[in-house]
Amino acid sequence: MKTARSLAWVAVTVTVASLCVAAVAELQDVGIAAGGRNPVAGLRLALYAVAAVGVVFLGSVYFRLAGVVTSTARQLTLEGSEASAETKLQGTDELSAAVNAYAAGREALVRQLCGELEDLRIRARLSERQKRHTEAIVYSLRDAVVVVDEQDRLLMANEPAARLLGFNAEDAHGCAMAEVCGDKHGEFLEFLRQSAQSGVEGTRREMEFALEDQPHVFDTIVSCIYEGPKVSGVVAVLHDVTREKEVSQMKNDFVSHVSHELKTPLASITAYSEMLADGEADDEATRKQFYDIIQTQAQRLNRLIEDILNISRIESGLIKVTKEPVSLAILIEQQMSMIRKYAEEKNITVSRRTPIIFDQVYADKDMLSQVIVNLLSNAVKYTPPGGSVRVATDVDEAAGRVKVTVTDTGVGIPEEELEHLFSKFYRVAANNKHAKGTGLGLNLVKQIVEKVHNGRVFVTSKVGAGSTFGFELPLAAAEMAAV
Amino acid sequence: MAGNKVLIADDEIHIIHVVAIKLRNNGYDVISASNGAEAYDVACAEHPDIVVTDYQMPLMTGVEMIEKLRANEATRDVPVILLTARSFAISQEQQESLGVSACLSKPFSPKELLKSIQDILYQRELAVTS
Repeated sequence: MKTARSLAWVAVTVTVASLCVAAVAELQDVGIAAGGRNPVAGLRLALYAVAAVGVVFLGSVYFRLAGVVTSTARQLTLEGSEASAETKLQGTDELSAAVNAYAAGREALVRQLCGELEDLRIRARLSERQKRHTEAIVYSLRDAVVVVDEQDRLLMANEPAARLLGFNAEDAHGCAMAEVCGDKHGEFLEFLRQSAQSGVEGTRREMEFALEDQPHVFDTIVSCIYEGPKVSGVVAVLHDVTREKEVSQMKNDFVSHVSHELKTPLASITAYSEMLADGEADDEATRKQFYDIIQTQAQRLNRLIEDILNISRIESGLIKVTKEPVSLAILIEQQMSMIRKYAEEKNITVSRRTPIIFDQVYADKDMLSQVIVNLLSNAVKYTPPGGSVRVATDVDEAAGRVKVTVTDTGVGIPEEELEHLFSKFYRVAANNKHAKGTGLGLNLVKQIVEKVHNGRVFVTSKVGAGSTFGFELPLAAAEMAAV
Repeated sequence: MAGNKVLIADDEIHIIHVVAIKLRNNGYDVISASNGAEAYDVACAEHPDIVVTDYQMPLMTGVEMIEKLRANEATRDVPVILLTARSFAISQEQQESLGVSACLSKPFSPKELLKSIQDILYQRELAVTS
């Protein structure tokens, strides 16, 4: 463009120069003929002058217009957006004013268009960023998320949704949901359709899906996406509530068990108290019997409450644990002497292998006593008269651990029940007739050994032959060395 | 009524003991069982006039025992009082369908239990005589 303008300038200059030379020649002619007037030469001189002025003017207009056109072209092609001062004609005539107004109008339009274009670019960038954010959120959710359009085509699904509904999220994009899911999940697809048709925000339903061949319950919420008044699609969020339901059920069962266990001794206390108050116990011996029953039932109630509270404290980490080096040999001997009277009443012998001296553990003495007494009393409870209970301690110095076992010749436990034995309130139904219990004792043993003392509990049993319950703890020396 | 035979089924020996004393003091004959299966067998053998049973018992629950009683022609019509620490475990509809005459929650009053037994047996006697 610059080259063209330069050539034009040369052309104009040459033209004007030629006209000037011609005019000078005419002036010479006029001068030569001055003596006698030459009106033709004068007229030619005037024409040259007019032609020169015209060429200069047209040249000027050409350059201004060329400037305007160039500038506009630049603006339109977005090679530059700055309004050029060159576009303004310097003249004051109407053509200049019209061209200047036109140029100014075009420049304003170009500026407006450029502004709008920039807005659109910014919005597009923001929209793209929001889309990426939304996708990042959806793809990072553990809940399954499915987005479908108004024609039931899959627009978006995260990995949990693909896993749950059994499709490949990338391959399935844009496909009809019925095609994606095949003949499965009919209830879910129908729920999506119904929600889209109803246009209701946030419809909710609990639905069952198979996940890794296990039934899972999902809290499913479907929300409509609107474009104006029209539903253009739906978003389904599926939250797995299986575990929550299990926990809730466990809590309900726990409350139910606790209330039953608390009410049972309370029922005896209430009934015997009423009988005493109503004078239903005729003689002193009967009254004494009633008082004793009330007392033992009150103690049972207290033990039960203590057990529940201890389990709860251990589980929540709120129990105060005072650990110190404890000799298992001494502790076992103390608990055996406590249980012997009860065992003798049933003609059951309680014995132990020669105690090992170096069996110190770093433990809470009271809690460990509870473990030993629970195992011993269970062994005596479920062993028929004439049987035996043996206690043994084995130290594995290399491993830094000590193992205590309590073996009885009792009724034994069916194999399929062994894994549940240490659960709260679990009782072997077949053995209920042999002894009463709350189903908390072994759970407390497990909590104390495993949660508080970093040990482990175990059991082996054979129906009709007896059981061996035991626990293993780190030796004090090993634990202190580790610390 | 006095002289009627009452079967008490409960796995808590103290509950059987206290109820038995209360009923014997008021002229009833008392027989007992410590689980549902045993209670059913005793009911079939002894034909009690009324059964008082716990809900949760080993081997067979109180409800299972009642279902068996209702399925047996010889024990179909025997009135039953359910004595339970799990009062919410059985609905009103279930009680009606099982033909449970009364449901008492533990802890319970021996006096109230006696009154329930008397009322039920009285109503039954009226129904028979009319």
